[in-house]
Amino acid sequence: MDLLGQLVNIKFYLLGSYPKGDVGGLLLNIIMALMALGLSFGAGALLGYSRLSCRLYIKIPSMAIVETVRATPLIMIIFWIYFFLPYIFGGNVTLFWSAVVSLAIYAAAYQSEIVRAGIIAVPRGQLEAALSTGMSRYKAMMYVILPQAFRIMLPSFVSFFVSLFKDTSTVFIIGIIELTQAGIIISQREPDKIYAAYVSMGIGFWCVSFAISRVARRLEERIGVFDLESIRPDACRDEFMLLPREKKTGEGMTPAACEPEDSK
Amino acid sequence: MIKFIATNKWFKDRHVLKNINLEIAKGEVIVICGPSGAGKSTLIRTINKLEPIDDGEIIVDGMYLSDPKTDLTLLRAEIGMVFQHFNLYPHKSAIKNITLAPRKVRGLSKNQATDRAEKLLDKVGLIHRRDAFPVQLSGGEQQRVAIARSLAMEPKIMLFDEPTSALDPELINEVLDVMTSLAKEGMTMVVVTHEIGFAQKVADRVVFMDDGEILEEGTPPDIFVNPRHQRTKEFMSSVFHIPIFDANQEED
Repeated sequence: MDLLGQLVNIKFYLLGSYPKGDVGGLLLNIIMALMALGLSFGAGALLGYSRLSCRLYIKIPSMAIVETVRATPLIMIIFWIYFFLPYIFGGNVTLFWSAVVSLAIYAAAYQSEIVRAGIIAVPRGQLEAALSTGMSRYKAMMYVILPQAFRIMLPSFVSFFVSLFKDTSTVFIIGIIELTQAGIIISQREPDKIYAAYVSMGIGFWCVSFAISRVARRLEERIGVFDLESIRPDACRDEFMLLPREKKTGEGMTPAACEPEDSK
Repeated sequence: MIKFIATNKWFKDRHVLKNINLEIAKGEVIVICGPSGAGKSTLIRTINKLEPIDDGEIIVDGMYLSDPKTDLTLLRAEIGMVFQHFNLYPHKSAIKNITLAPRKVRGLSKNQATDRAEKLLDKVGLIHRRDAFPVQLSGGEQQRVAIARSLAMEPKIMLFDEPTSALDPELINEVLDVMTSLAKEGMTMVVVTHEIGFAQKVADRVVFMDDGEILEEGTPPDIFVNPRHQRTKEFMSSVFHIPIFDANQEED
């Protein structure tokens, strides 16, 4: 089968031409995603927090940055950085860094929204309770609001990381040999196995994305201990909509009939 | 200890506090009652400036609240506040809920803060629940932990904003008992509550509010038994569920 035939190319899918050349393939996707995430985390948190500021000279610029980046396709940012960064820094920017910086800018904008939503989602009473014990706003944020906001953010954060990982495939456009580009190269080298090449790429992305979300699920279970009242992540609809498991017939249909009858 | 001078507050167009003048002495227990929407919660929240006022002055322990230079963290450290919905920190155990502020605000060491917190948990009868998280506690237990959390800062004043309104009836007494013992120790307390029994037993003075105004203030019997205003009479009759105006009906 074609797909099994791709096993001879597995090293190229996973590592690119690594020992002889640069790291590439799936490993490069993972490296780029992690580096973009690392670089953007601080900036994203700062932008998200600034958007909540009451001071307009802080709020408006951060809003402008976030909205501009969010309104721009990733591929556009990649091109901008690819063409403008060498222009600014004098032509010595490697492809890899130009890709990572674009992804980081893109990630920062989205992360800032996750951070902002997380902070807003902490009930107001928490801030009031913290302030009323004499904490400053900064202390209340650090010890009361952010720890809770982080737990609220975690699921969106993970789904964002998965999508960021998949978006790293976009940088093939500037000639980086990550998984997509590796697959394209192979499919061009062996045109008769083109389907197998594209399926192999898909499998590569799927495996890593799935692994990330499984790890995240475990993390959520461990970190979310205080939240016993909410619905478990693996609950099925019947449980959280409180639907009766058995279909009731006849008189049992109406809720009123379930109540004890009045004495007549 | 606390002094309101011609205090006014608006929410947009709504005049929620109308010319409030009230003086509360050290060690006094004041109960504020009145229908919902009367401004009771707003009034109590102005004392630690969770709600700023628009006009007039409030002086708390020598600090002027309308002065922008007043250090709010200092002010609030001296005032404990207990909320209707407890507002415990859900990510921290009971003991850590209590030790957080003393450690971060008063700068106590972990051991000092834990000792103090354990004493307070013992006082509110929850030492056996020290490592429980808020979701594992009943409403009454949560509220008692919340009281302990406020007391851990050794405040001079305690504010209670409807502390029992969100509780099941059988859990109310455990919270009121803690509050009663606190009052007996001489704590200055301002309590917004509908628990008339508690007010009669503990309050030095009762303030009746309606529509942003203080209609009456006086000793519990003054307000509950012999209210002067028609509005107060109506409110009391509905609170006590007895038609106090109509003696005949009572005989039915």
